[in-house]
Amino acid sequence: MSNRQAPAIEITGLNKFYGSFHALRDINLTVSRGEKVVVCGPSGSGKSTMIRCINQLEEHDAGTIRVLGTALDDSVGSIDEIRREVGMVFQHFNLFPHMTVMENCTLAPMLVRKTPRAEAEATAMRFLEKVRIPDQAEKFPGQLSGGQQQRVAIARALCMKPEILLFDEPTSALDPEMIAEVLDVMSSLATEGMTMICVTHEMGFARKVADRVIFMDRGEIVEEAAPDAFFSNPRNERTRRFLSQVLGH
Amino acid sequence: MTDLSIHAPDPSQRLWRRLRSEYFASPLGSILTLVCVAILGLLIWWVLDWTLFRATFEADARAAECRANGGACWAVIANRWRLIMFGIYPYDEQWRSALACVIVIATVVLSCLPRMWGIIRLAAIWLFAALAFYILMKGGALGLSRVSEEQWGGLALTLFLFVSTVVIGMPLAVMLALMRRSEMPVIARVTGLFIDAIRSLPLLAILFTFAVVLPFVLPAMLTGEKLYRVIVGLAIFFAAYQAEIIRGGLQGTASGQEEAAKALGIPYRYRISRIVLPQAFRLALPATINQIVITFMETSLVVVVGFVELLAAGNAAYNTGEWKFAYVEVYVFISAIYFTFVFGLSRYGAYLERRMNVGRR
Repeated sequence: MSNRQAPAIEITGLNKFYGSFHALRDINLTVSRGEKVVVCGPSGSGKSTMIRCINQLEEHDAGTIRVLGTALDDSVGSIDEIRREVGMVFQHFNLFPHMTVMENCTLAPMLVRKTPRAEAEATAMRFLEKVRIPDQAEKFPGQLSGGQQQRVAIARALCMKPEILLFDEPTSALDPEMIAEVLDVMSSLATEGMTMICVTHEMGFARKVADRVIFMDRGEIVEEAAPDAFFSNPRNERTRRFLSQVLGH
Repeated sequence: MTDLSIHAPDPSQRLWRRLRSEYFASPLGSILTLVCVAILGLLIWWVLDWTLFRATFEADARAAECRANGGACWAVIANRWRLIMFGIYPYDEQWRSALACVIVIATVVLSCLPRMWGIIRLAAIWLFAALAFYILMKGGALGLSRVSEEQWGGLALTLFLFVSTVVIGMPLAVMLALMRRSEMPVIARVTGLFIDAIRSLPLLAILFTFAVVLPFVLPAMLTGEKLYRVIVGLAIFFAAYQAEIIRGGLQGTASGQEEAAKALGIPYRYRISRIVLPQAFRLALPATINQIVITFMETSLVVVVGFVELLAAGNAAYNTGEWKFAYVEVYVFISAIYFTFVFGLSRYGAYLERRMNVGRR
């Protein structure tokens, strides 16, 4: 993409309504390249909505979003351009059930980037090895465990070679024993310099991996700080209450 | 340690146990089972006796011999099968009609093979088939004499009506279903209204409208041959119902599927053709097969606007003088033809369902 100096993501004055419900209020957020941001907050606080605005799975009502220097305007072109550079991993994996793991990984590169099949498959194999399931390439998603499916979903996003990865509660739908394998993959991605925004309740992951933690409540960014300061010395009352709830037992 | 391993029961033993527990569990149960077996045996015997043992097969047999034998009089089929298969198509040219049927059936079978599923491949073979069918049936080219559409008939006409209805109607149905869930409310509403309007009209009214009324309303250059107007009517009727079936499939497909495709940057046309529709069709398959089977049966309604399709040709086959007594045989023969096609379709549907369930929970 064009502008190499621009920050990965610049959000200014973002507002979003569902009918009369004010889902996002004046969000301002800048994420620089290679930065890892963890977004937390109670359910319904707008975390998912915010990251879904970045690749326009949700339309916003006011404010500007710039991704890698490209402004998201109403033109279809800018949305497609940005979606190619922004990968997303969903809570419920959303793998394509009628395709094999390999086909899941090669479909978008072949259709969108016009990568030849052989090259797309080689890339897919490389990323499946990275997420440690190369032996499942010919299986269908329904034959895999939840943790394996989520790792395939990460590989699928990586196959588009995105600059930025968005994670929307990637471990919330997993059985407890599978959370670690997914978080491990995410941590190793983080060490390789991927720009990541991750909505999650895994505070251990946030402490270990994040450069910055953001706390949202009722559609606002209430507090943002480096993990040390965030966890040891939260300034806002709402943050303290939230942290005592998720860490307190 | 004691050996507590459990063996799978011996199959023959299992069968015997099942027979006993399900069919001979009590005296009353045993009696009912025996009575049912007896009735079934009688029925089978009666059918075989009529269709085979006492039937008359000689083509030159007539009413007297048939009555003497007491069974079915297959002589009527031997004498009249060409009328049933080809209607009033010129006798010497009927090989063309037969060949056209073979081409259509071959194309249908070919497009049922999963390896042929691709828009370009399907469009190519169907374009070729349509062209070959039309040239063969209509003639006026390649040294073939001209046969007007009014003379087409019998099985060839039934197949032509059915196949063109589905081939034209299915893409139309997909389009209507997608338009009905459009994000633009005007398009969604208008499409919904159109579908509901078509569905609230009886097929007969639509056939009459397209066959009889349209020529008065439209300028001559837009009306075209009656047969093609009727096909358009059938196809629109089919599409209205099939669109709702596909919409059901679309609603059953998880919304996350489309989102995942969007997030990967996959453009709309591929999101629909590669992600959403394959899953929607899988969900809609039983209802789709149902609708296709109904459509096959409904082609017989075109008799009301003057076409001699399979059933009408059958009526004509026994309705001339000497064969008036043999209507049961003719209907059995026609039923067998319908059965062959529809049963084949149903089994194909079942095969597709099994195939699509591979690797799915």
